[in-house]
Amino acid sequence: MSAPRPTTVSDRIQQIPRHYVYLLLAGVVVWQLLFPIRLPITPSVPTRGVYDAVAAVPDDKLIIITTDWDASTQAETGPQTQAVIHACFQNHKKFVIMNLQPPMGVKLAQDLAEEAAQEYGAVYGVDYANWGYKYGYENVLMAMAKNIPNAIGDDFYGKPVGELPLMQGVEDIQAIGLVVIVTGLSAMTEMWVGLIQGPYRTPLAGAYTAVMAPIYYPYLDSDQLKGMLVGAKGAAELEAMVDRPGKAVAIMNVQSWAHVLIIALILLGNLGYLFARGRGEGSQP
Amino acid sequence: MWFSRLLQRLFPPAPTPAALYLYLALAVVGSIVIIVALHRLLGPRGRRWLIAFVTFIAGLFFGLEYFYPVHGDPAKNFLTDWIEPVSVMLTVVGAFTVGLGIYSLLQVHGRNLVQRRPGWHNSLAFFLATFAMLVFGMWEYYLHLPQPPPAVVPWPKGIYEILFNGLFAPLQAATFSLLAFYIASAAYRAFRVRTGEAALMMAAAFIVMIGQVPIGAWLTSFIPADSPAAFFRLEMLGEWVLRWLNTPAQRGIIFGIAVGALAMSLRIWLSLERGTFFSEKG
Amino acid sequence: MGSLEHANVFMRILFLSLCAIIVGSVLLAQRGREMFIRRIPGLTAIEEAVGRATEMGRPIFFSPGLDGINIVTLQALAILSYIVRLAANQATRIIVGLRSPMVYPVAEESVREAYDAVGHPENFRSDDIRFISDEQFAYALGAVGIISREEVATNFLFGAFYAEALILTENGRALGALQVAGCPEPTQIPFFIATCDYVVIGDEYYAASAYLTREPTLTGSLVGQDICKAIVIAIIALGVGLATVFAPEKNFLLTWLGGGG
Repeated sequence: MSAPRPTTVSDRIQQIPRHYVYLLLAGVVVWQLLFPIRLPITPSVPTRGVYDAVAAVPDDKLIIITTDWDASTQAETGPQTQAVIHACFQNHKKFVIMNLQPPMGVKLAQDLAEEAAQEYGAVYGVDYANWGYKYGYENVLMAMAKNIPNAIGDDFYGKPVGELPLMQGVEDIQAIGLVVIVTGLSAMTEMWVGLIQGPYRTPLAGAYTAVMAPIYYPYLDSDQLKGMLVGAKGAAELEAMVDRPGKAVAIMNVQSWAHVLIIALILLGNLGYLFARGRGEGSQP
Repeated sequence: MWFSRLLQRLFPPAPTPAALYLYLALAVVGSIVIIVALHRLLGPRGRRWLIAFVTFIAGLFFGLEYFYPVHGDPAKNFLTDWIEPVSVMLTVVGAFTVGLGIYSLLQVHGRNLVQRRPGWHNSLAFFLATFAMLVFGMWEYYLHLPQPPPAVVPWPKGIYEILFNGLFAPLQAATFSLLAFYIASAAYRAFRVRTGEAALMMAAAFIVMIGQVPIGAWLTSFIPADSPAAFFRLEMLGEWVLRWLNTPAQRGIIFGIAVGALAMSLRIWLSLERGTFFSEKG
Repeated sequence: MGSLEHANVFMRILFLSLCAIIVGSVLLAQRGREMFIRRIPGLTAIEEAVGRATEMGRPIFFSPGLDGINIVTLQALAILSYIVRLAANQATRIIVGLRSPMVYPVAEESVREAYDAVGHPENFRSDDIRFISDEQFAYALGAVGIISREEVATNFLFGAFYAEALILTENGRALGALQVAGCPEPTQIPFFIATCDYVVIGDEYYAASAYLTREPTLTGSLVGQDICKAIVIAIIALGVGLATVFAPEKNFLLTWLGGGG
């Protein structure tokens, strides 16, 4: 179903070869990475909700950061995880990393946690820990609700979690003060809402890729999520709040101009369509 | 409960690891025998009834546990304590199928390689990559390196890091990055304002796209944040579109999908699903 | 210690009522009552899409999505079975690309049975039911590779799709394939609409087996589903009214819908 060769001006405007579109986009990305035009970032209400939820966790409770993402969404979920980890360390909250799918997430998150831990002088097993990848989805959550050490078993390094100092006194879901779901996958939040937030009223916060985030606004609206990070923007806002501007801020510089380019291309295509319609030709595929 | 006591008497915990392995072997052999016997003894109609019965019992368990009245503290009924072991059992059954996927890959790519079909070098690359990741992944795991890891790590760990952090993770990220280009070309090609509704949708899309990035906030930064006109700041407009226009629409879709899923689940549970795939008539 | 949430009396009544309505509609349909289903363009186009592949002498590619065995995938396999029956009569080849190893034996059996049912077991090729990869983007690239090398004429994507959807459809479009997609989740619908010729949206997806087969059981279930949706809308309207007039502690619907036992 390839389009016929463009003959008129309106055709040419509507049928710019896609490799030129790709080159333009690549050019904008490279331009902003090399010569960024820095613009101020103001935290939005959903992002502030995440920060406030972390700060509000009682000192005797743990935060669970679920890192259900992998390298494919790392550009968004990596900075989100990093910003949440910084928020936990800055507010002196103990946290654990865990993952239900895919397994790569815990390793990538562990690298981020180790990097941040060096900055704050945090010690693994005392200030933070990594429960590792746990297979079983809902089964893991249902088991955790009743008995966390039994459900989790060993940590990321193969050590029984019950032996970690920060796990002293942690028996069941009542010991958890907040769950921050950082994910690029659908259905994770629904599991946590249905099995943990609903029955036990454990606070939840979410951090999602920008494509997924719109479907979770209903949960934010109904207070099932205390806050939400929306894509790289949310990560950049939280980075600004914890005063650690990093990759997300750099990404937002690029994304700003990429969005402008896409809007310009859409307008250009519609201009060609209007010209063609004015001549009675219609749009080209 | 008498049922729990009966099961505990019939299936006591294994006293030794050797006994556990024996029980597992007996369970596997016993399962194969039972399945083969059922396959031989039951005709197509009998098999269909057996499948319908097992499907019904499996679905009934979780549904009954949710709806059966509860009592005590913590509130539970006679099925609640069985949720965890049944869930674990289902997980174990699901894990058996991982081997099937590997078998399919080995079969297809092995045939390509042996018969030197066009593109056989891709199948060779598949085998090399699979076994390299398998070997060095397991080797790295069984090194049991201390925490924090030493400054100089053993060479298998180094190769594992090259394969994982140097190849696998960047390849995944690069593939995901293709989406940015595809979105640009798809948006440019497909979004045409043909009707009034399309124009409305386009306006909303532009507001959200610009409002979600810092340049949107900068464009309307001249509007004071604490003034009544702050609503017209692009980031506020974008937020409003997402929370007040998008959210009800998403809710409607969620409800519709949930009811559809309920109906489909009911059909499968009661073995009412008909035609193609499931069966012609029950 | 907390407990798993259980149904309260209201939830029991509501759920059993909804089930009774669906089952009742099924029984009515089985007794011969005519039930109307509106036209769903995406599903009507399946026959046209299969016909296109037959005319061009090129294969069809089918992806049942990325999930394991759940109702979304089972619905996709039901649609696959229908497509196989259409294609088998015309000896058109169908390649199925799978992401989940759990779906592999079910898909293989489903396709084999479909070929048997139309009397063409000799057209079944087990090599055309392919597990590609468990990794999302490795699956997408593997599927794109198959679509490109085999020069498929028609691309069917029914099931649960995520970020890789646009990679599949944009490449399929660039190759000139006719594309029909269906996904109950809303996140990927915009990308399908921009790149596919026909798209089945939201709960139209769950209506597929009823729409394609017109089996009384399934059409009855579909009508029952619509009645249930009307009840849910009525409850929402009641809830909105009560929440507008009453404070939360006086809102009885809030208590009832809390659901906890």
